[in-house]
Amino acid sequence: MSDEQGADRFEQSTKRAFDDSVAALDAATLSRLTQARYRALEELKPARRRGWQWSLVPAGTLAATALVAWLTVWQAPPATEDSGLQAESLSDLELLLAEEDLEMLDEELDFYGWLEEQPEFAGADDSVG
Amino acid sequence: MELALGIAQREAGLDREGALDSGAAIEVFLREIEKRAYRIALMGVRDRDEALDVVQDAMIRLVRRYANRPSVEWPPLFYRILQNRIRDGQRRRTVRSRVLSFFGGTASDDERDPIVEAPAPRSEDPLVQVTADDAMQALEQALRLLPARQREAFSLRNFEGLDVAQTAVAMNCTEGSVKTHYSRAVHRLREKLAEHGEEHWNE
Repeated sequence: MSDEQGADRFEQSTKRAFDDSVAALDAATLSRLTQARYRALEELKPARRRGWQWSLVPAGTLAATALVAWLTVWQAPPATEDSGLQAESLSDLELLLAEEDLEMLDEELDFYGWLEEQPEFAGADDSVG
Repeated sequence: MELALGIAQREAGLDREGALDSGAAIEVFLREIEKRAYRIALMGVRDRDEALDVVQDAMIRLVRRYANRPSVEWPPLFYRILQNRIRDGQRRRTVRSRVLSFFGGTASDDERDPIVEAPAPRSEDPLVQVTADDAMQALEQALRLLPARQREAFSLRNFEGLDVAQTAVAMNCTEGSVKTHYSRAVHRLREKLAEHGEEHWNE
């Protein structure tokens, strides 16, 4: 058997072993993978339709939200007094509820640099009018 | 009639031309690759829960950022994300063991239920099943001895079946580099496995 034939046989054997190990995954793992897939597909929905997934909201955020809501609703001054405080509380609430895209900090800049070099992105005209 | 057909197509995740819309298409894609991706992640991070997290994270990132890209781009993009997450996991494990060894401790695996984790038997013959498991274990051990880039190239080309161009995108390197990493990986794996009496890989 030539070395090339040996390499081919080897590659087929390793692929077969890998496929066998994939087929042997236990039910618990398959279930977790299905859940992961469903979680990922949630990203396709517009944010407003994803609905509250309470289990994903950290307890601290819930507590802080409840506190700010209480301050806003029960402690809000009468309309005739300074409304700046109310506006400030609402902006605090928005801040707490806003979802930071921290993944932007984790971008692969070189990949996006490559993407920008692609013809469909080259020569973009930013001028208005 | 056409309206009814259109509604039926939409409900089946098909667009006007009868092709899967991107949401249905990406679901099909994820369902097809999730098991292999998990197995590759498990080889990289060597922890079941972490491997599941890695796969979920890669899926979420793919859907969030690239669902609107042409579907032919999904495999290399997904595996690029997956490999990055695997590398992150490996770095964390390295740091963790260094910190633990500094303080005189050792990392230990969490308690696991062996019955839950027992793989579904694929063979009626337990000897065949044991032999298959041993073979994969030997292969994984040999893979761990490879440099990271060779291991990645081999996983993507051999296990996942990506072509050279797709692997180059996933690994963020040239096609020439992919070919070099892959051929060296094959050569070293054959050597290592033969050293340990694993000649059957070449049969």
